[in-house]
Order: sequence, then C-alpha cells, then structure tokens
Amino acid sequence: MSILSVFNQVEISHYIYLSTVLFSIGLFGVLFRRNAIILLMCIELMLNAVNLLFTAFSSYMGDADGQIFVFFIMVVAAAEAAVGLAILVLVYRNTRKTDVSFLDQLKG
Amino acid sequence: MIALFVTFFSAAVLLFLGLNKRESSYSLFAALALFVSAGLSWACSANLVSFHGLESWVPANMMQFGKEQHLFAALLAFIVGFILLMFRKNEVIGNDQLGLMMFSLCGAYMMVSYQHLVMLFLGIEVLSIPLFVLAGANKSNLASNEASLKYFLMGAFSTGIFLLGTAFIYGGTGSLELEMMGIKPSFMHAMQGMPLPVLINAGIVLMSVGLLFKVAAAPFHFWAPDVYEGSPNRTTLYMATVVKIAAFVAFYRFLSTFGGIADAWKGWMSVLGAITILWGNLAALNQASVKRTLAFSSIAHAGYLVMFLLMADGTNTWILWFYGLAYAMASLLVFSIANQVSFQGERGFAAFDGLSKKSPVAAIALAVGVLSMAGIPVSAGFNAKFYLFSFAWQHMPWLVGVGLLGSAISVGYYFKFFKHAFMNQPSNDNPVVDRGWLMLLGGLILLLGALPWAVLNVIY
Repeated sequence: MSILSVFNQVEISHYIYLSTVLFSIGLFGVLFRRNAIILLMCIELMLNAVNLLFTAFSSYMGDADGQIFVFFIMVVAAAEAAVGLAILVLVYRNTRKTDVSFLDQLKG
Repeated sequence: MIALFVTFFSAAVLLFLGLNKRESSYSLFAALALFVSAGLSWACSANLVSFHGLESWVPANMMQFGKEQHLFAALLAFIVGFILLMFRKNEVIGNDQLGLMMFSLCGAYMMVSYQHLVMLFLGIEVLSIPLFVLAGANKSNLASNEASLKYFLMGAFSTGIFLLGTAFIYGGTGSLELEMMGIKPSFMHAMQGMPLPVLINAGIVLMSVGLLFKVAAAPFHFWAPDVYEGSPNRTTLYMATVVKIAAFVAFYRFLSTFGGIADAWKGWMSVLGAITILWGNLAALNQASVKRTLAFSSIAHAGYLVMFLLMADGTNTWILWFYGLAYAMASLLVFSIANQVSFQGERGFAAFDGLSKKSPVAAIALAVGVLSMAGIPVSAGFNAKFYLFSFAWQHMPWLVGVGLLGSAISVGYYFKFFKHAFMNQPSNDNPVVDRGWLMLLGGLILLLGALPWAVLNVIY
C-alpha cells in the first residue's frame, strides 16, 4: 500500500477539523499575545492551516486549482512577512521594544 | 486591462527615474500616467478604442474587463491621479512612494475585475502590502510607525480569515471561479429550497468578515481611526477612497454570485450596516482631531454602502460608481485643504480658523466639499445618497430610516468645519495653494449635483 493511499483513507472531515483547530490556535494567539514577533508567527500559523485545507480539498476533488492557490498564498505570506519584519525593525529603532503595548499613542 | 498595463509600466519607469534628481516632476509624471490610464479605460468602456490583443494575454476565467470594470478602473485611476496632483506641492516625496502607490492601484484594478478567487486574493494583497509601507512613510514619527504596524497586523489577520473562507467555499463548491461556483450541484439543490451546505455558509461568512475588515465596517472598524490618523495625509486619503471603493466592488461581485440563493446573510449584514452608520456618525461627533473626524465619517460612509451590498444582483453597479465618485471628490477637497492648513502639526479644527479671510476661494471649496459629504442638496453627495436610499427603500425601508438618521447626526460634526472656517479669526497665515484645482473640484461637485444625468449619460 503506497503512502498516498493511506492519506486517502483519512476522511476529509478530519482535515477540516485539524485545520480549523490550527487556525483557531493562530487566531487566539493574534488576539491574546503581546509580542509582535509572536503575532507574526501566529499569522503564519493561520495561513498554513488554510494551506493544509486547500491541499486536502484539492487532493480529494482531484482538482489542481487548490494546490496552485497554495503556492500563491506562500508567496504572498513571504512578501507580507518581509514587509512586516521591516516595519517591526522600524518600530524597534524608535521604541526599543517589540511589544505591541506601544500601540496606544493614537487615541481620540 | 489597458489601465493595468499603463499604470504598471509607468510605475516601473518611475522607479528607474530615481537615477535622475528632479524630484518635483515625478508627481506630475505619475499623475499624467494615471490620467492617461483613466482616459483609455473610459474610452474602452465607451467602445471608442479596444485592446483585444492585449486582453487576450490574460485568460478570461482569471480577469475580465467589461464596461463596468473599465469604468471603475477609470474612476480609481482618476482619483489617484488627483491625489498625486493636489498633494505635490506640500511635501515632495520620492519616486519610491509614488511607485508604491501606483503598484497598489494595480491591486485595486485586479479587485474590480477578478473572475477567480486567486485573483481576488492577489488583488487584495497587491493593494495592501504597498500600503503597509506607505502608512509608515514618516519613519521617525511614532504615530506613523504605529499606524503602519497596526494596519499590517489587521491586514494580515483579516487576510487569514478571508483565506479560510475561500478554502471552505472551494471545498463546498469545488471551484474557485465565480461563474463555475454558481452552477455547481450543491448550489442547484440550494436553489430548490434545500439548505446550503455548512461549508459554503461558513465560507460566505468568513469571506465577508475578511472583506468587512478591509472596508472598515463595524464591528471590524476599530483599527481605522488610528491608522487613518497616523498615516501621512496622502496615504489616508488613498485608504479612505480607493481601498474602500475597490473593496466594495470586490465584495459586491462576490455577493452577487451568491445573491439569489443565500438570503441568510442579508439579515445580519443589514444589522451590521445599521451599527456602522450609527457608530461612525456618533463617534465622529466628539473627536477633536480633524483626521479622526474624517476617519469616522468614512466609516459612516462605509455603512451607507453596506446598504448597497444588500441589493447585490449585478445590475445596479452605477450607484456604487456614482457614490464612489461623489465621495472621493468631496474627500479630495476636504483632505487637501486640511493638509495645507494643518501644515505645522495642528491636528484640531483650529487649523481651519479664519480660512474665509485668508482665502475665500478655499473656504468656499471647503464648504462645497463638506456639504457634499453631508449630503445637502445641489451637491454630488446629495444625489449619490438619494439614488442609494431610493433603491434601498424597496428592499429594506428600516435601514434607509437609520441612514437618514445618520445623515442628520452627521450635520453636527460637519458644521464644525463651517464654524471654524467662517466665524473664527485667523490664527496663522499658512498660505493655501492650488486654488485652481480646488475650484475645479468644487465646480465638478456642483455640476454633478445640479445635472447628474447629463454627466452620467456622457460618461456611463
């Protein structure tokens, strides 16, 4: 039995549950953590949970669109992380911290 | 399509122009390129010219430029061209920032013309990523840094939610193409009254949440006032107009695919619209800072446009086009005058003190812009709101009532502009430049207010 057929014996619903749980972990991380670098990691976790789901659907439906979407998500996530880290470096230069608690300068 | 090519290549050329040192001419070059894009798109929409050879490069199931898409592309290019033109004298910016703004505009074109969810996703990202940088363009200013980081975190977070929704819809319908999604079996049985699969419903809700973040509608608007206030004025204006219009067009096209079959979302969406209108207008009432007031006012305008989404059936996009044009022209006027008078860091309304004595033309232009935002008759904003409300009346009258209440509240904070510009004594002598452009914009707003159909028949 090849490895691929083992994967296909897992029901699609399990993939949906797994990636929803992974996504939720990332989501709660973004909502409750204070360190900007950890926020970036949590956002990556959210995007990768989506990648997993796309790949699973794509494989089950025999449709290549989902897998190609995953490549686009990876490219965009890399671009986003590059810009995000650059912004973080900028913030660090001015405040000497990476904690998002500095985000309260602007108040009405 | 032609707008995309012209804008993209002139942005690329602009980046290479950095070798040359004559910086003040970059804005003019960029604005010229954008007006050419707008003109060519409009000519395509009116079938005066066609670029079929060029358009056949992109598969029709990815992006399609019909009449409406061309008109929206023309509108967006026109707005950005004006932004670059009106702000060019106050602070000279490098070609890198101009280039980023034009690349970001390419993302907006993709959002108005997508046929495939990959293109929608790429459009949103191409629009957003340059904006994260532009929001933080004042590198040493802490407020600008904060705006940039906040916008980045919110943008990336909402992208994650949006993508999960896309994945669910892909799983539920088996396709990512707008046209295919509508004819899949799961939809056919939904048409016959059976409930829509959970996956598709969850997907619609998650994608809507992602897009509501982008348009800054309540309860996903909390980032907007901070980001709008901290960003440089030019970027704020870009976010309040171009991003909002592009996101609404994308949202509209997405919802009109699901239009007839998923009525479930209409209920909660109309409640969100009502909350957005009331929250935006009420919160704007007691803001001390001009930019924050305008930020909340733009949230309220997003609320009015949610009303438009509820009528999504693919036939009445001209209302959104007209509303976008009216709102963008009024914002351009008010923001560019605010930018000039609050030149030395005054954030409050005191910056407008005695504007009518310093420069009557600017004061009258400001009055026209503010009246148009508030929706007072004989201004473009009144007609835009009138068309929107009279169409929405047939679908959900109570929401129109909320909209009218919101407009009445909004007069309260728009009046502050008048009080400071016409009744107070001047406190500084910052000059107001570019009176010609201000007069042109004010005149256009009045023209669209007095003779909307004459103009719409020529353009649309």
